[in-house]
Amino acid sequence: MPKQANITTLDTSGLSCPMPMVKLNQAIKKVSPDGLLEVIATDRGALTDIPSWCNRMGHVLIESNSDNGTYNFLIRRIVG
Amino acid sequence: MKSMAIIIRDDSYDKILTPLGFAYLQGAEGCQVDILFVSWAVRALTEEGASEISIREGHCEQEPWMRKQVANAGFPENIRDLITAVHSTGSVNLYACSMAAKIFGVDDSNMIPESSGIVGSSWFLNEKAVPADYSQTF
Repeated sequence: MPKQANITTLDTSGLSCPMPMVKLNQAIKKVSPDGLLEVIATDRGALTDIPSWCNRMGHVLIESNSDNGTYNFLIRRIVG
Repeated sequence: MKSMAIIIRDDSYDKILTPLGFAYLQGAEGCQVDILFVSWAVRALTEEGASEISIREGHCEQEPWMRKQVANAGFPENIRDLITAVHSTGSVNLYACSMAAKIFGVDDSNMIPESSGIVGSSWFLNEKAVPADYSQTF
């Protein structure tokens, strides 16, 4: 995932469900509207949970990829 | 999902983790979660009861291992701490069933501050469980 300025990173590596989602819900509130949040996860549940969460909450999943058991997501926070 | 109702009756450590985990998850998302603690589980709403929660049967010998695994997963391993975390989402209400409270000696004097109080099961079922988008019993 390319590094860009003004990206907040949430590293949930090693955490298992439900903690990555709990921390994601907390972290997104600190991201400015239209800001970007990068989420790093190792819980396989994140592969289904995070895209579903973005869709449900109205945020945009810009990019996702996996590399040897680590999953990366780039999310744009949408408000309103 | 905007609201969820959960009824917890089993206070065995391995069985109470799941509903509290679900409540933590949904509460963090802003979903309104209402939990009714019935039977033995009502004791989880007291300091003494929460501290005494353990695996009741089947896997008792593996409790230290399970607690370590839970902690390694980043989850509050201690039920008292978990209740605090769940409540801190601001979206979860923790109610004690009045009948269970009477049976197990839970009252206003020994309930933890996170508790939303003692309520009748009829009120909970009709005002919380029926209107909820989803209800679960554990």
